[in-house]
Amino acid sequence: METLVQSTLAAPEGDISFFSLFWQAHIVVKIVMVGLLVSSVWCWAIIVDKVMLVGRTRRQMSRFETVFWSGQSLEELYGTLHNRVNHSMAALFVAAMREWKRSHEGPRPAIGSLQQRIDRVMDVTIQREAERLESRLLILATVGSAAPFIGLFGTVWGIMTAFQAIAASESTNLAVVAPGIAEALFATALGLLAAIPAVIAYNKFASDVGKAVARMEGFADEFSAILSRQIDERG
Amino acid sequence: MRAGLIASLAGHSAILVWGLIAFPDAESFSVPQVESLPVDLIPVEEFTQLRLGERTAEIREVAAIAPSEAETEEPPQPADKPGESQVQQPTPPTPSPEPEPTPTPEPEPVAEPEPAPEPEPAPAPEPVPAAEPEPAPEPAPQQEAAPTPQPIVTSATPRSKPKPPRRAPEPPKDDFDSTEIAALLNKVEPATQQGNASEEPAALGSRQGAQNIRMSQSELDALRGQVAQCWNPPVGAVGAEDLKVRVRFSLSQNGQVSSSPEVLNSNGNPAFGAASSSAVRAIMRCQPYSLPIAKYEAWQEVIINFDPREMLGG
Repeated sequence: METLVQSTLAAPEGDISFFSLFWQAHIVVKIVMVGLLVSSVWCWAIIVDKVMLVGRTRRQMSRFETVFWSGQSLEELYGTLHNRVNHSMAALFVAAMREWKRSHEGPRPAIGSLQQRIDRVMDVTIQREAERLESRLLILATVGSAAPFIGLFGTVWGIMTAFQAIAASESTNLAVVAPGIAEALFATALGLLAAIPAVIAYNKFASDVGKAVARMEGFADEFSAILSRQIDERG
Repeated sequence: MRAGLIASLAGHSAILVWGLIAFPDAESFSVPQVESLPVDLIPVEEFTQLRLGERTAEIREVAAIAPSEAETEEPPQPADKPGESQVQQPTPPTPSPEPEPTPTPEPEPVAEPEPAPEPEPAPAPEPVPAAEPEPAPEPAPQQEAAPTPQPIVTSATPRSKPKPPRRAPEPPKDDFDSTEIAALLNKVEPATQQGNASEEPAALGSRQGAQNIRMSQSELDALRGQVAQCWNPPVGAVGAEDLKVRVRFSLSQNGQVSSSPEVLNSNGNPAFGAASSSAVRAIMRCQPYSLPIAKYEAWQEVIINFDPREMLGG
């Protein structure tokens, strides 16, 4: 009897360290655990990345705003910025100024619908920037909602096999039951471990991106007003 | 992105390593070792039959045990004495001198039975079978010799134990006209003794002891099922569920109802009359009942509860 128990459920005396819980598990549960671990790693990679991205974007916008409102000539500012790779507000400014420049470069300045063109260019830029900020946030949302279920699936599967093994061993001793259930519950623990940070981070970054986009739209409107005044004065 | 991935991997592996170090193994609960008690499951019948036995066998045992216990200890006596009181009759031959002197201290445990048993040693050889043949000789000796009737008493008493007051007279005594009186008297006495002792369940080893045989659950169920098949319960009556009818009847050895069933309870419900008559009808219709003849003593008289709720199968 004892040997039977040993073979069906390894180590009933309760070796419950992380590794033993993992190695005792059924192959399906193992896959689930590995998948959850990978998704957790991926989520945290995204989180770290986004934290840095959002912080950088915020700093860039602040710096650009101080420069922009410092009274520096727009031409000069464009001269310093247009050769660089720009993001957020700087990208907005460069896109609008480029359109402005091009419209005035030709033999016949196309000023008629310049205002609409500039607005549209800035809209497109804002969209592109928002997309950049939001990229991979969907992964966080998916992991946050799906990981608990995946973990639960692993647990259900593990408990199922544990009960089958218990039935085979024909013993209801708690020492026989416990390891199987513990290893199965480990899958749910991993699922929650992956899901909780993902959900929190998703909510935080979604609101951060929303704020950044709103700030860019505000700048776009202001800059559009300035350019429109310039166009009307020159026209 | 690469920075994030590296940071994430580093963090996870750090947590994993920390987890391995900080939570190596769950500490096992300290559970006191409990010694397991071996338990045997035996049917009640087996237990009761442990106390019963063949006449010859038990007589010997009691003889050996009884004298020592009777003299020394009081508590064990009650259990054994039911047997003793009757069994002693055969056994006394050897220790007879001893118990008689002791009787004075003994009176407490068995007291009453002893006076009768003393003379009996002689009749003992005539055991059970004696009861039937004796009728002829007895009528005459009744008044003359006390010892002769007593053998009958010994054999008769045990039988009467369970159903002493009512049944005893009817079935076996038809044959013995004159002896019956003596038998009756004697029977009553042992019954009272038993009542006093209250440990009488041990009973004698004799076959009469088999009276304590209990019907097994399956046999009871068989009887119940047989009656239930014949029973048309008063379904339509108001409050039919409460129409419990308690019927007592006696059976002969061939399974026929030997006395008209007697309704033991009553009920204010107007439909009770119909219910009770349906119960009686059911009993009459279902005979003969097939029950183990060996346990006739146990089912000689039967009381059945007709509970519409139960017998209808809920």
